[in-house]
Amino acid sequence: MFAYTIRRVITGILLLVVMSVVTFYLFYASSTTPERYACGPKCTAAQLETTKKSLGYDEPTYVQWGKFAKGVAVGRTFPDDPELRKAAPQLVQECPAPCLGFSTGYSAPVRSLIQDKLPVSFSLAIAAFVLWMVGGVALGITAALFKGRLLDRAIVGLSLVAFAFPTFFIGLLLLKFVSIRWGLIKLPAYTPLTENPWLWATGMILPAITLAVVYMAGYIRITRAFVLETMSEDYIRTARAKGLNQRTVIGKHTLRAVLTPLVTLSGLDLAGLLGGAIITEQVFNFNGVGKLSVTAIQRFDLPLIVGIVLLVATIVIVANIIVDLLYAVIDPRVRLG
Amino acid sequence: MGTNRKRLVAAAASMVVAVGLAGCGGGGSDSESNSGPSEGAQPERTEATKGGTLYSLEQAVTEHLDPQRVYVGRDISNLGRTVYRSWVTFPAGATTEEEGATPVPDLATDTGTPNEDASQWQFTLKDGPKWQDGQPITCEDFKYGMSRTFATDVITGGPNYILGYLDIPKDSDGSPAYKGPYTGEGQDLYDQAVTCDGNTITYRFNKPWPDFNLAIASLRAFDPYRQDQDQGDKSDLQIFSNGPYKLDGEWNEDTGGTFVRNDQWDGTEDTIRQANPDSIVFQIGIEAETVIDRLIADSGDDANAISTRNITPAQYPQITGDVEARATNIVSPFTNYLLPNFNRITNVKVREALRLATNRAAYSGALGGDKASVPAQSIVNPNVPGYEADSLYSEDGNPDTEGAKQALEESGETLPYPIKLTYPIGSEASDKAFAALKASYDEAGFETTLDGLDPSGPYYDTIQKPGSDSDLIWGGWGADWPSISTVIPPLFDSRINLTKNSNGQDYGNYKSDEVNSAIDAALVEPDIDTANGMWADVNQQLSDDVAYIALDNTKFYYLHGSNVENYVNSTSTSGYPDLGVISLKQ
Amino acid sequence: MSLTTSNLESHGDDDFVDVEPQGESDGKVDVEGRSPLRLAWARFRADKLSMISFYVTALFVIVAISAPILIKLGVLDPQTPDYTLIDYSTGGLPIGWGGGISWSHPLGVEPGIGRDVLSRLWLGATISLSIALSAAIITVIIGTVLGIIAGFSGGLVDSAIGRIIDLVLSFPSTLMLLALSGVVVDRMRDVGVPNGPNGAFVNGFYVVIVLAAFGWPPVARLIRGQVLSIREREFVDAAILMGASRSRIYFKEILPNLWAPLLVYFTLLMPTYVSAEAALSFLNVGIKNPTPTLGNVLNGALPYAYTDFVFFFVPAAVIAAIVISFNLLGDGARDALDPRAAR
Repeated sequence: MFAYTIRRVITGILLLVVMSVVTFYLFYASSTTPERYACGPKCTAAQLETTKKSLGYDEPTYVQWGKFAKGVAVGRTFPDDPELRKAAPQLVQECPAPCLGFSTGYSAPVRSLIQDKLPVSFSLAIAAFVLWMVGGVALGITAALFKGRLLDRAIVGLSLVAFAFPTFFIGLLLLKFVSIRWGLIKLPAYTPLTENPWLWATGMILPAITLAVVYMAGYIRITRAFVLETMSEDYIRTARAKGLNQRTVIGKHTLRAVLTPLVTLSGLDLAGLLGGAIITEQVFNFNGVGKLSVTAIQRFDLPLIVGIVLLVATIVIVANIIVDLLYAVIDPRVRLG
Repeated sequence: MGTNRKRLVAAAASMVVAVGLAGCGGGGSDSESNSGPSEGAQPERTEATKGGTLYSLEQAVTEHLDPQRVYVGRDISNLGRTVYRSWVTFPAGATTEEEGATPVPDLATDTGTPNEDASQWQFTLKDGPKWQDGQPITCEDFKYGMSRTFATDVITGGPNYILGYLDIPKDSDGSPAYKGPYTGEGQDLYDQAVTCDGNTITYRFNKPWPDFNLAIASLRAFDPYRQDQDQGDKSDLQIFSNGPYKLDGEWNEDTGGTFVRNDQWDGTEDTIRQANPDSIVFQIGIEAETVIDRLIADSGDDANAISTRNITPAQYPQITGDVEARATNIVSPFTNYLLPNFNRITNVKVREALRLATNRAAYSGALGGDKASVPAQSIVNPNVPGYEADSLYSEDGNPDTEGAKQALEESGETLPYPIKLTYPIGSEASDKAFAALKASYDEAGFETTLDGLDPSGPYYDTIQKPGSDSDLIWGGWGADWPSISTVIPPLFDSRINLTKNSNGQDYGNYKSDEVNSAIDAALVEPDIDTANGMWADVNQQLSDDVAYIALDNTKFYYLHGSNVENYVNSTSTSGYPDLGVISLKQ
Repeated sequence: MSLTTSNLESHGDDDFVDVEPQGESDGKVDVEGRSPLRLAWARFRADKLSMISFYVTALFVIVAISAPILIKLGVLDPQTPDYTLIDYSTGGLPIGWGGGISWSHPLGVEPGIGRDVLSRLWLGATISLSIALSAAIITVIIGTVLGIIAGFSGGLVDSAIGRIIDLVLSFPSTLMLLALSGVVVDRMRDVGVPNGPNGAFVNGFYVVIVLAAFGWPPVARLIRGQVLSIREREFVDAAILMGASRSRIYFKEILPNLWAPLLVYFTLLMPTYVSAEAALSFLNVGIKNPTPTLGNVLNGALPYAYTDFVFFFVPAAVIAAIVISFNLLGDGARDALDPRAAR
């Protein structure tokens, strides 16, 4: 098991390194004039040159990647060009390791920018996760128990309908009617959990519902299918034959069988969300990583974009490793393969 | 505010549920629209009460708070009423065009003394005003503040007229030999051009600058700055106040900040700023629509809120009854126009046909109608002193399609005449507005290709290329200070705009020696009325050449909370809510 | 959140892992010698919901095909403004009930400019479905080719493709779609991709390419799994013994056995990509006005939630109807093709 873990972690790190190279080439090498965006529309030719140098865009992409990688390992100093540092010492900024680069739009280290926003995205992801897991499993089981009846059809049908409408439309509908027009729930806003748990929860509810709706339909269907399948398995039939009542059978046997695949699946879905729910954060004006990335893209803030892409990728890769390891614990055969 | 307009569009365009061009649009209760200048109905003034927390809800994120770098009209006005003072300013709460364009002394003892040809200006500092740490403001602080503008590698984004005006020799590339206080290169040259003698400062220019004090009152670039507080680029979002408020903690670029009272400010000495609320909370980064939805709902703290986001056309039907009483609708300082590309459309008859065919009524209508936009009748905004409606443009903005057809026929070109219309994308309203223009051109015999580009990315890049293949280019402008001298020269003086790689603000590559020399003459004319007459002649020449096609003047359509009193869209703050007079019901 | 692709990935391929190749379906029903395809069709027809979704989907396809013809005939007109239908005193709302509903404008007209909403939606559906169709075809082709190669070659090639799949799946897809648009669209123009009216072509092309570029890995995984199970079968061995070339084995022997899962996957990709196009429009990526897509018509309608609800709701409802009908069709097809999965 130990060897397997090591092997998985090393593969993960290698994957990240390759990712960072690919990302660098996608953005830095394919854009004709990245400094043009950093410098803005009023930029003069001379300013453009300075910007290019101070951001280090004048070097080949692999050199830039090398500097980035070095920055992650040991930190770095901006601007890159030593002459510029000398000429304008007031512009020099330190970026300690692990340095993800220096945002041109915000004039701040990328890592600190992301760190500021992560709690918002994390809160949103967790709140949505709880909603869709609890809601999905509960409704899925209910649907299975009432298989073929009206309630089953209503649950499956409505969840599909909710899923079919675009996320931003659902979000706006909730924001505009439930919150603003009818005033049923206060205007969604982020309050840190440590500051006021009640405000945290109430401010989070509409965006969390919006996100949960996207995932819930799938979880309802999976839960329903698994429950139906396991209920027809022999051990369940045995349990029933033993005279256990319906509730015990579902609670003890079926649910356990259903939860294993759901947990692994949801682990990956959650990981995807932790890096920011772009549309939902945009609709509800939550200053999380998702909204930060939209701002970064609008300003063509390459270092910030690359930083966010790599961060999200790291989360996904780590989650994959965890899920794989969990699998390995459950099913020892995996370790060999 | 030239670039502000750009910024407005850029900011609007960058928002996802965009309101864009109509971002400068609105509608209002009392539209006395056609009376021209923005003396729209102002709510009644009541005895101001002190105290309370005012909220400012905004969409755009902050670009700069550094006085030498701020260039967004709303920020210039807000900061000038709260944390930054200068030699002169415009009176608080002014409602007439004239009052709002007449500087009054602020930190100076008077409104400044020019020499005979206005190539030198002197200001004397009042005794008493302090910085937020209790130290007195000095003449040297003023001198240092302006010097920062010369560090064009660090202090970016702000207006830099001063680089061209101040009497400092130029390098071979045309930039001043003084490189700002950080490198100190050419410091002695600056020290000769700007001198402090006790409390009196003297500015020496290389040409006459008759309205220099208007520039001081309108911009923040001439504000004092304390050298020991200067950290270059790191100071961009810092505020070292000498006004009635100071920044509490740090400013967050995405969410805003809070201003609290500055105990070093003396309200008996500064009689301009009433500073009624105890604190002002700036909440930024909120979608424009949501801002208005919240102001309509008027619940909780939002009753104490103001905003400079326009009510979006989709929300107009909700502005009724007591909501309507909280809305204000005035003509903004911005004018939008089209520039024919003189490198491509050389036939004046074709340009004339374009002007005649332009459906300004439909353009304004698509932006939201008369509460959002009024068809323009000149490139000069009605709020600028010396404005005259050009008889070439009808008041209702309807096109003369028959006249256009005829002009096209006379041009001798083969029809349909293909044109490419380049405009900044960003909102549904702007897309509709340009679709409407296309329809009107196509009807007159053109074959229009719309070319919408992202204003935060390729738009300015593309249109500023002298070899661009656009035939008709959208532009927007607002005067930097209330004078035509900040409208026509920056847009049409080919000497300051056209270079090998860029056409500056002269997107149409217009070049006329006649116009250039007429501009020179008008710029140095000290008498305002004579100068305005000269500007009218220059404008006539531009119209004869069809150097531009006026489109519309956007309007401000603002909403404020029910608890906000003495709300004025002051002419002295460019039509933005005047934080110098606003108070809250207690 | 990803543009719902993640749902497809996660839920989709789990369900497929144990789909049996249709070459040798359950023999017990086969007494009358009916082909598996006809059996599946019979099962499909027996399911009412599947049939309804089939008809609705077919209707959308007809709508999509007919738009250009109807525009040419002048029945639909998505571009011409009609200012007479607009009440400028209200900020540009259409005159009349429900956003200007009338016989000539059954879904009303657009506020501010008076273009016909039905025409714009109709053409928008054509364009959105074309984008989804192109992207889905490319996705399936890339995924199938790489999946077959990986599954059949094994060893180094297999693990190389496996790592590429891991790599692509690790990218935050929504973020990449958004972030790459500026860079890639500029680059596409540089290499001569035609611009189209207001950049419609190059932007649409971009959406197709990137959706496919980030969408293929699940297909490849699915196909690889299928190939692994098929390649052990006798008929492949026989082909190898007879000296058939690699590519012949890949595409002539194995591919025909994969069409069923591919068809189902394809059907489920369509709604995912229709939604993705809408979400990208919301984020200002993709085809811009005046060329309508379902996404940008909806995006333009979003501000009118309070004041013109018909205009606000209809585009979203059309998108939802497409997503639902394609999803149900895909489900029905899967159940019909693989009776064991039927619930």
